[in-house]
Amino acid sequence: MMRGVTRRPLLGLVIPAAVAVLFIALPLIGLLVHVDWGNLPADISSTDVLTALRLSLECSLIAVAIALVIGVPLAYLLARTSMPGRRILRALVTLPLVLPPVVGGIALQSAFGRTTPIGTVLDHFGIVLPFSTAGAAIAEAFVGFPFLVITVDAALRQRDDHYEEVAATLGARPWRRFWRVTLPLAAPSIAAGAALCWARALGEFGATITFAGSFPGTTETLPIAAYSSFEGSGQVGEAITLSLLLLAISVLVLVALRDRWLGALR
Amino acid sequence: MTLHARILRRLGSLELDCEVEMQPDITVAVLGPNGAGKTTLLRIIAGLLPLDDGRVEVDGAVFEDTASRSWMTPEERRIGYLFQDHGLFPHMTVLENVAFGLRARGVDRRTARMRAGEWLDRVDLAAHASSRPSALSGGQTQRAALARVLVTEPRVLLLDEPLAAVDASGRIELRRALREHLGTFSGVRMLVTHDPLEAAALADRVVVLESGRVTQEGPFTEVTARPRSPWIARMAGLNLLRGRVSNDALTMDDGFALTVASQVTGPALATIHPRAVALYRQAPDGSPRNVLRCQVAGVDPEGDRWRIRLDGPVQLVAEVTPAAAAELRLAEGGGVFAVVKATEIEVYEL
Repeated sequence: MMRGVTRRPLLGLVIPAAVAVLFIALPLIGLLVHVDWGNLPADISSTDVLTALRLSLECSLIAVAIALVIGVPLAYLLARTSMPGRRILRALVTLPLVLPPVVGGIALQSAFGRTTPIGTVLDHFGIVLPFSTAGAAIAEAFVGFPFLVITVDAALRQRDDHYEEVAATLGARPWRRFWRVTLPLAAPSIAAGAALCWARALGEFGATITFAGSFPGTTETLPIAAYSSFEGSGQVGEAITLSLLLLAISVLVLVALRDRWLGALR
Repeated sequence: MTLHARILRRLGSLELDCEVEMQPDITVAVLGPNGAGKTTLLRIIAGLLPLDDGRVEVDGAVFEDTASRSWMTPEERRIGYLFQDHGLFPHMTVLENVAFGLRARGVDRRTARMRAGEWLDRVDLAAHASSRPSALSGGQTQRAALARVLVTEPRVLLLDEPLAAVDASGRIELRRALREHLGTFSGVRMLVTHDPLEAAALADRVVVLESGRVTQEGPFTEVTARPRSPWIARMAGLNLLRGRVSNDALTMDDGFALTVASQVTGPALATIHPRAVALYRQAPDGSPRNVLRCQVAGVDPEGDRWRIRLDGPVQLVAEVTPAAAAELRLAEGGGVFAVVKATEIEVYEL
């Protein structure tokens, strides 16, 4: 009975809530309305769009790879050890999430720019990060990898180390426990974190354009291409096609993760 | 193969302070109420929890010694630990679970799978080799976990409440299977349980652990016949009294005395079976009997015997038939006379 009473919607809240729904839906509808559906196949298969798409996939996948290689170990250490400064480190990892991407790009530039100490050393080996495809991937990894670390860290902390203890009593040494028990059990959360990281990397704009610029075929990824055609050449149609492509990918990630990510929020 | 452990470990409000010695080829049950430190004891022997002070040794191999700061990791100890929740890896098949310990100890994949398969056969799970643990019933899970432990041929077998996670219907059959497999294992076998029935059915010897201390040990029948703590007496279903015996009188701390017939003198314990406590509405007269004026503190109907809790000079439990209970008009707070024959009081040295 209490439930019935407390579950009756407050009219005063329904209106702003409806506005919220429209706020999300209207821009999407606007985008769909402006798509030139007849020419869509031709637009998508244009060389410019395909180049941007290929570059975007390349950079974002490299970014995910970087995030996996350095992010999973970090998440493990954060979740399973009592190393000092863990809380500070956790806060530091989340920083790229709230940092304006442009600031991230400038920060990357000041760390890895050609005139910086690290940049000079890399230059010596013929590696130039700023305004290169590798630089774009690095910028995307910088912005995307906190998603992976946070997801995996949370999943590891949610489960205690009981199965690792079981493995130890069965004779498994630490590395075997990590590979055979910890990693497989964390696999769903690693996949979810990687997908989120990938989606974020794919949509990355600010840090990438600041650190890597917008050179077609080298660093002009999908979002940057969309922005350039919208702002620079006034080709709104192409911008909308590119946006639709990005929207489709986002929806795809959401669908793929609906149980993992949305399920947890339900 | 003998296990010797001298253990001191504080954990929260628990202080585990005990010394245990376990001989091979017999099953020892560590019996005690919840929170007595039973699982803590197992975890220490397994190396999952370090000691504050003490030493754990199996057949000359020092697992841990705080004096010499030696410490063997759990994976080096070659123990078999059957966890209370059985701990089957959810991401592996049953066969992979059973083969895990062999693989971890360097057995090649083919041999490991073959030997795991043989063990699954022995515990009647061959048909479930490629199932996930989540598809198994409670009893099957327990057998799979047992196979996973035994296939590695450990030198010490530790079982934590092996039947607790299994529903009552499968327990009898499982207890039989467990006893059979325990019989084939030569080494130190140690199980912890809070269930006296489990201890009686599976163990040759019991060690009673209460609040981190060993209160009694010995063969099950001996322990329950002559309990040395109120918990054991309750578990055995006996009334336990403590006092001093002289001139056929057992005198309690508060000065109350019961007539007993015993050779023992000095500080002593005494048990009275609840059925030996007879109840009357009027004080009966006659021979060398103890008559206690009591109040009924509670009535617990249990099948065809009702347990009557009595408050009086001493606290007693009497067992009567429902008919007798009705005839005596027993009700909480009512007065009643409890009569115990001197010969029904079992006295033994403290």
